[in-house]
Amino acid sequence: MDEIAEIDEIRGVAIDDTFAEAFTMHAARVIITAKTTRWARQAALELTGFATSVIACKCEAAIERDIPEAESPDGRPAVSVLLFTVDAESMGKRLVERIGQTVLTCPTTACFDGLPGAETRVAVGRPLRVFGDGFQASKVVGGTRYWRIPVMEGEFLVAETFGVVKGVGGGNFLILAESADAALEAAEAAVDAMAGRAGVILPFPGGIARSGSKVGSRRYPEMVATTNDAYCPTLRAVTTSALPEGVHSVLEIVLDGLDADAIAGAMRVGITAACRAGVRAISAGNYGGKLGPHHFHLRRILAGDDAGAAAR
Amino acid sequence: MSDEIVVTPHAIGEHTIEADAIAPDRLASLSQLEIARLPVWAGGRPARLGDIFSVRGERASTVRIDGDATHVDGLGSAMAGGTLHIEGSAGRRLGAGMTGGAIHVLGDTGDDAGSAMAGGLLRVGGRAGDRLGAARAGAAKGMTGGEIIVLGAAGSEAGAGARRGLIVVCGDVGAHAARGMIAGSVIVFGAAGAGAARWSKRGTLVVAGTVDVEPTFGFACTYRPPHLRLTLTYLRAKYALPIDDGYIHGLYRRYSGDMAELGKGEILQWVTE
Repeated sequence: MDEIAEIDEIRGVAIDDTFAEAFTMHAARVIITAKTTRWARQAALELTGFATSVIACKCEAAIERDIPEAESPDGRPAVSVLLFTVDAESMGKRLVERIGQTVLTCPTTACFDGLPGAETRVAVGRPLRVFGDGFQASKVVGGTRYWRIPVMEGEFLVAETFGVVKGVGGGNFLILAESADAALEAAEAAVDAMAGRAGVILPFPGGIARSGSKVGSRRYPEMVATTNDAYCPTLRAVTTSALPEGVHSVLEIVLDGLDADAIAGAMRVGITAACRAGVRAISAGNYGGKLGPHHFHLRRILAGDDAGAAAR
Repeated sequence: MSDEIVVTPHAIGEHTIEADAIAPDRLASLSQLEIARLPVWAGGRPARLGDIFSVRGERASTVRIDGDATHVDGLGSAMAGGTLHIEGSAGRRLGAGMTGGAIHVLGDTGDDAGSAMAGGLLRVGGRAGDRLGAARAGAAKGMTGGEIIVLGAAGSEAGAGARRGLIVVCGDVGAHAARGMIAGSVIVFGAAGAGAARWSKRGTLVVAGTVDVEPTFGFACTYRPPHLRLTLTYLRAKYALPIDDGYIHGLYRRYSGDMAELGKGEILQWVTE
């Protein structure tokens, strides 16, 4: 196999010789259409609210991209959402409760499965249909069954089942900057560069996490995750810090994707955009490589070696 | 093995030919000679397919009727796969009971096309006769699946007794469309004759033109049906049907009925964009 020259710096920003460690998760794609982009996006924002981390939110979700009307299932403005859970069974529960509370309730929307070819299916429209209290009806269109649930506005249309595939959760990189302002500007540039890429979402607020965590706690046994003290600038003097000299703020970008290639491609674009004035280094979070099956080596990703980057 | 099997009518007299042997999945494993020996009925008398048609090609799942088959009944009936192209018109019971595959007719088709159909596609370039996708005589259920597209008009009782599936008629339909429909959809871009959806239990009859709604249907509201928007978008994309945006996103009057039955069916009458 040919050696690929690894990239250890971009525009003077050091790329740490490390990797992001990610996990296999289960993914669904929900396509929301509405009369206008405003309402499709509003429903998508509600659907993906409180969905930053499976640790406490039971799922991770965010808007994947806007879908042009020409590609939309019903010819209207549409927004695509990706949702990730730890297993397929809980995916069904999350979709039912979230679609039921945030899309069904939102004016003018309809809700479609964005992974129609997936073999694993979870029932969504089927359990939601009983909200129709016996007045609901089904309709098969193009081999897919939909439920028509009468609502005060008119009707809510939702696919009977949604496809679930195995995806990858927890791709990440850290932006180590000279100041909080520089970190935020770099993170925003990274998010903007990654926006709208198919198959990838950034589940944290605005795509950015300021509170990266470590597994467990040094003090509270009941805690599943606590602050990543090694990367907290205010703790440099009181803990075993991982921060190089001159770094005064760190932000993290977390990525979930339908496959490793999607994450690697987005990381390459995002990291490249984040390498700008005021940033000292780009790093990544991992657990020594012992927990997650997907390893995204930063230097190899930036060299364009997606396959090698994702290998354990 | 050839790309397709071409069947050309050459000795059709004044009698009707019953040729349910001509179905792509039945011919797919046969040689040219075996195809020519298949039984048909000509004017009520037994004959061989080769007596009526010339056959070119063998062992192919695409069959082309190269000529007019207006007097040939039963083409593609009960077929489960493959593709049947008919370059002219077809007789009665075209695709009756078919469960899969596709039939494309350039011209018209006779009565009972797609009757009791359970799957696949039946596309008619011209006009369809009576009982399109309807129940066989004496049967309780009409089509139970599949899709029928008619670019012209259709006769009476289109979709009568349908249990599932989709019928689209771009022109007018005669009387009693969707009569006794159990479920499924019949979409008519022209006008519908008298007795539309009478005795239907569930299902949807969409009429873009005029329709006299039976008194046993109750007016509900005027709205933009989401399922119809999806269905019409699907039809335009899949079959390149020239469906205007005004129908896809338009307003429809919803009538629920037939109240003499379950009352869970509907007539959707297009009103305006």
